Amino acid sequence: MAEIKSVELKVGLEVHVELATRTKMFTRAPSPAHPDYDDSPPNTLIDPLVLGLPGALPVMNREAVEMSMLVGLALGCEIAEFTKWDRKSYYYPDLPKNYQISQYDLPLCYDGSVYIPLPPTPEEDDEHERHKRIGIIRAHLEEDSGKLLHELPGGHAIDYSVVDFNRAGTPLLEIVTQPDFVNADEVVAFAQFLRNICRFLGVSEGVMQKGHMRFEPNINTIITLDDGHIVKTPIVEIKNLNSFRSLRGAIEYEFKEQPERWKKDGKEMGPGAKSTRGWDDVKLVTLMQREKEDAHDYRYFPDPDLIPVQVSREWKEKVRERLPELPHVRARRYIHDYALHAKEAAALTDEHDVCLFYEETVEAIVQAIPGVLSDRAGRLAANMILQQGAKRANEQAVLVNELGITPGQIAEIVKLREEEKIGSSAADELFGLLCESGGSDGGSALRAESPPADKEDTAQRAVPPMTVEALAEQHNLLQVRDEGQLDAWIDEVLADPANAKTVEDVKGGKTAAIGRLVGGVMKRSGGAADAKAVRERLEEKLGG
Amino acid sequence: MELHDHTLIQLRDAIARREVSSEEAIRASLARIDSLDTGENGLNAFLEVFHDRALDDARAIDRRIAAEGAEAVGPLAGVPVAIKDNMCLDHGRTTCASRILENYESPYTATAVQRLIDAGAVIVGKTNLDEFAMGSSTEHSAFGPTLNPWDRARAPGGSSGGSAAAVAARMVPGALGSDTGGSIRQPAGLCGVVGVKPTYGRVSRYGLVAFASSLDQIGPFARNCADAALLMNVITGHDPLDSTSVDFEAPDHLTELERPLEGLRLGVPRLARSDQNHPEVARIFESAIEAYSGLGAEIVDIELPLMKSGVAAYYIVAPAEASSNLARYDGVRYGRRAEIGPNDDLVALYARSRAEGFGSEVQRRIMLGTFALSSGYYEAYYNTALKTRRLIKNEFDAVFADASGPRVHAVLTPSSPEPAFKLGAKLDDPLAMYLEDIYTVTANLAGVAGVSIPGGFVDLPGAPKGLPVGLQLLCPTFAEASMLRIARMFEKTGDWNSRAPEL
Repeated sequence: MAEIKSVELKVGLEVHVELATRTKMFTRAPSPAHPDYDDSPPNTLIDPLVLGLPGALPVMNREAVEMSMLVGLALGCEIAEFTKWDRKSYYYPDLPKNYQISQYDLPLCYDGSVYIPLPPTPEEDDEHERHKRIGIIRAHLEEDSGKLLHELPGGHAIDYSVVDFNRAGTPLLEIVTQPDFVNADEVVAFAQFLRNICRFLGVSEGVMQKGHMRFEPNINTIITLDDGHIVKTPIVEIKNLNSFRSLRGAIEYEFKEQPERWKKDGKEMGPGAKSTRGWDDVKLVTLMQREKEDAHDYRYFPDPDLIPVQVSREWKEKVRERLPELPHVRARRYIHDYALHAKEAAALTDEHDVCLFYEETVEAIVQAIPGVLSDRAGRLAANMILQQGAKRANEQAVLVNELGITPGQIAEIVKLREEEKIGSSAADELFGLLCESGGSDGGSALRAESPPADKEDTAQRAVPPMTVEALAEQHNLLQVRDEGQLDAWIDEVLADPANAKTVEDVKGGKTAAIGRLVGGVMKRSGGAADAKAVRERLEEKLGG
Repeated sequence: MELHDHTLIQLRDAIARREVSSEEAIRASLARIDSLDTGENGLNAFLEVFHDRALDDARAIDRRIAAEGAEAVGPLAGVPVAIKDNMCLDHGRTTCASRILENYESPYTATAVQRLIDAGAVIVGKTNLDEFAMGSSTEHSAFGPTLNPWDRARAPGGSSGGSAAAVAARMVPGALGSDTGGSIRQPAGLCGVVGVKPTYGRVSRYGLVAFASSLDQIGPFARNCADAALLMNVITGHDPLDSTSVDFEAPDHLTELERPLEGLRLGVPRLARSDQNHPEVARIFESAIEAYSGLGAEIVDIELPLMKSGVAAYYIVAPAEASSNLARYDGVRYGRRAEIGPNDDLVALYARSRAEGFGSEVQRRIMLGTFALSSGYYEAYYNTALKTRRLIKNEFDAVFADASGPRVHAVLTPSSPEPAFKLGAKLDDPLAMYLEDIYTVTANLAGVAGVSIPGGFVDLPGAPKGLPVGLQLLCPTFAEASMLRIARMFEKTGDWNSRAPEL
């Protein structure tokens, strides 16, 4: 028998996104995907429709449709002018009506594509931008099911099952890609890209642990044998992956296992050969769930309780106007306008909240420093956020915007630095102090001592926040430019016999040696001296 | 005249004038129900009667009438009405005459019923029906058949047989039913009362337990056209809870009721004169045509060639939707749950709960519908039925609309091909039972409005006062007001609706 020469991977992805509408897809019951309701006790987000009680009727949630259109537009999809709702029938205790309202043959969004940024390969330099086009087959809207639990909340064992219908009826957007992925990296990059887009669009918080996004990759391998024959292994669908780690794990596992399976059973891709597997997060293996996908007959037919959806040009355009600038477009703008490196731009647009924080910081710098050019402001803000900010955020495992420091405060630090009132280490220390002070209204570090506020007085008026400069002064972080003080330190350094040789070198024309003297003065000042002023003064004194 | 002989408007006006209290009216209704409905030979029109609750409600209405006046309370202030037991009410049980919902209590009230209550009506009870409204005789009720008040050996028709019989027997002056393929009009015809099937979308379906969502419509039963028009005024209107309810206001159905329609053109389809009609029905139908002629109406012979295909299309579309609508009755969340053993699985729970809970007719339709929607058969059955449905609608459009004005204002047919049939006569022959709907189903498929009014009486053994025969008028969508005017023109030519069965 021929030996395996090489194996290629082919993956298509289905993603379910729970839309964060306030109410459910077809009723006014609150939705658990909305941040206000995500911790509700079991079976509290229910009403006659959610429970499938006799006589209850669905009414379409327009906001869910608009959110779906937003995602569709962001993924370059066509938006259907005419679409409808279909019933998908199957019996399961978590499905209250024993049918799911979905979209069968006329999805709301179809035929899209996106270019996703890929991380550079080890051989490539950091500045290289790599993108891959991923085709989007469709994105359709449906309702989520409830949750079947086999132990009671709190983990008490039971010998029966219970159902929580809170999730039932939550709007669910199912996005189906073309099988364009050739490795797990690409799939994960797309999944993260999609999550980021959904967060920018405000259609989902994208909290994976809460099930806001669930992934179902369809995986198979293409095996080339040494005799030139090509074998395609049967497609395996992995159900309900709810973390990037499990998504990667399942794909990598299947990539490894499918050729082994083929060696054992010889099964190839074809009708009826598709199977469904689940991912075991502990054993890190996939497990068989259902052998034959095609056995199911869902008996789709148009839901007579709902009227078809006509998407007028005006409606579509109105939704298009809601479309914010998307992360990858912002990244391109940063590279172009602020001359940021691709890697920097990616880091700043990776997280919706960090990105907005960055843009607010740029704006605050423009406001704080009269005449500063916006590209300079963009660069300065990036430096602060990606250096001072990222370092601390990593340590504390939070996002930069969650550190406690505000964009306005960062702008003040930048301003002090630009005015050469503080040095770089002082800037860093100040950043740290402002993070600790925590809170956008200025925390304790920024509160000037003042008598208790008058009752009639508002809090803001009672305690005027201390300026960042005052804070720097309080902590002795301002640079000393007082010539008398500088001269005293310089004279001490010049008089130091240990420096005699260096002084001679400088006087002899070795100007580079002056750095050593500057360092000596800085040390003597405890970092408070303005290094630039020290250098100028030294040059004067040594008769440059 | 006794209180129970009052028509809805007569009773309403007497209460408004404070000649009668609502409490007295409700007591009279309850007494009539108690004497006629239960025990041996009881009509069994009601599945549940709210004795205490109705009297409490009536006393509350009386207090409000005393304080605010009847007009402020509403156009139905203090009158008793009954509702078919497939409409949700937030007290009592909502059974759909099914074992599977035998003890089901709805936490909410259907919109149409709430509109009755808001208009001041007192709900005295819930009426019998064919299980889940599937049937044409009310014999498919899990709680026993309703008897026809004109001859207890005969069926009242169905599926709203309980509401039709309750009004015919003067237990209540008005009631609500639901019509999916004729379930208001056919029993109205067989019980000698007025029954309206409004245009699809005219009355909210919210809280009506679905049989076939695209066909179901709630409508009123009453003893005459004016009462039916008043009930229509109360129950019609947009409901944001029903996506298929239309968002434009219905006219007042009463204001022009007495004004005859000038230049009336009535279409008589060839099928309505076919030899499948009982000879007595044919005779009454012809005399009705003559009566309209005598009123100056132009009688137009029309072809509705697909009318005869209506039943075939209907018995695909309706069961298909029903198979899906009834999937929720699985014993998991509410309703009857079968006992299962420790080794039984989920499928056993489903299968046994549904086998025990559903009667044979419901099971038959679920199987029919499931088959029609199955992959490989969908195109041949469901899609073909939908195409037929569209063509039937086109036929009606062509008959009702013309460049130079409507070809006809209404289509006239018998409500059903024969007078009330004997209990059990068609129980073992589903096809014969389905053909009861031959004149009625097309209105549901096309979504147009329809009404059945008493057309006359025939003498058959067992019915000392004769058996009523219904006359059906079908009208364009949202033309209920003119439809009732046309019906009223005929109503004035006879005294059929003042006849009462001997009970």
